[in-house]
Amino acid sequence: MFERFTKDARAVVLGAVEHAERMGAETVEEQHMLLALLDREGSRGSFALASLGLDRQKESVREALAEARRRGGLSRAEVDALSGLGVDLSEILSRVEEAHGVGALGADGKDKGRGKGWWSGFIGGHRPFARGAKGLLTESLRIATAHKDRHIGDEHLLIALTSRPGVPAEVLADHGVTYASLRRVLYGGGEAKAG
Amino acid sequence: MTEATDLAERAGDRDPRIGLRAVSALRRLLEQLEAVQVRSARNQGWSWQEIAAELGVSRQAVHKKYGRQ
Repeated sequence: MFERFTKDARAVVLGAVEHAERMGAETVEEQHMLLALLDREGSRGSFALASLGLDRQKESVREALAEARRRGGLSRAEVDALSGLGVDLSEILSRVEEAHGVGALGADGKDKGRGKGWWSGFIGGHRPFARGAKGLLTESLRIATAHKDRHIGDEHLLIALTSRPGVPAEVLADHGVTYASLRRVLYGGGEAKAG
Repeated sequence: MTEATDLAERAGDRDPRIGLRAVSALRRLLEQLEAVQVRSARNQGWSWQEIAAELGVSRQAVHKKYGRQ
């Protein structure tokens, strides 16, 4: 499957590994994929983002991701579900940070899929892809196939990100980038339906 | 009126999706809280054995999970 990845898509995957390493995360996660997608220039994905106005809001996206990390990487939907149970995450967060310092909760990406897989073989590193990030790669293949695209580009990774629940999709949606808006600019036949 | 709204909200709470999402979020939160506490205990010089005893798991289990830190 990896041989079908375009140069840009490969750069995103490798960039995600670098982001994970730089942040000291144990696994490569979807948020690292998004950070790597933001780094791309001149790719189909970056053009799609630019046409949705995200090129001017990259810093805001990075800040929102950092904020989500601080609350343990939980999405707003998850925080709401917790509050439905009577669990107030902000209260827990403030107590943990009071005792252990700001950022203590998100300090460790310790969970989800471990072990080496086919991807880590390609990448040659020792940092495994988290289950979500693996699912993202698989989803990007599915999306490319559905559109009869022969190659998997960074735009497919981007669409895949917005199609899955979680922090990256939420942050992107807050900045006007959704599954629907991306599909419109990438496949919708021009700007006819814009707005 | 408010009664109807309450009822509707309560019915919403029975949406399995919300309940399952809450459970999954709790699990992730639990993992992170455990990591914070284990790290803190190690920084204060606790042994793996002591930490394992408090967590109610084997020493090997804790060490395997957090040993590299």
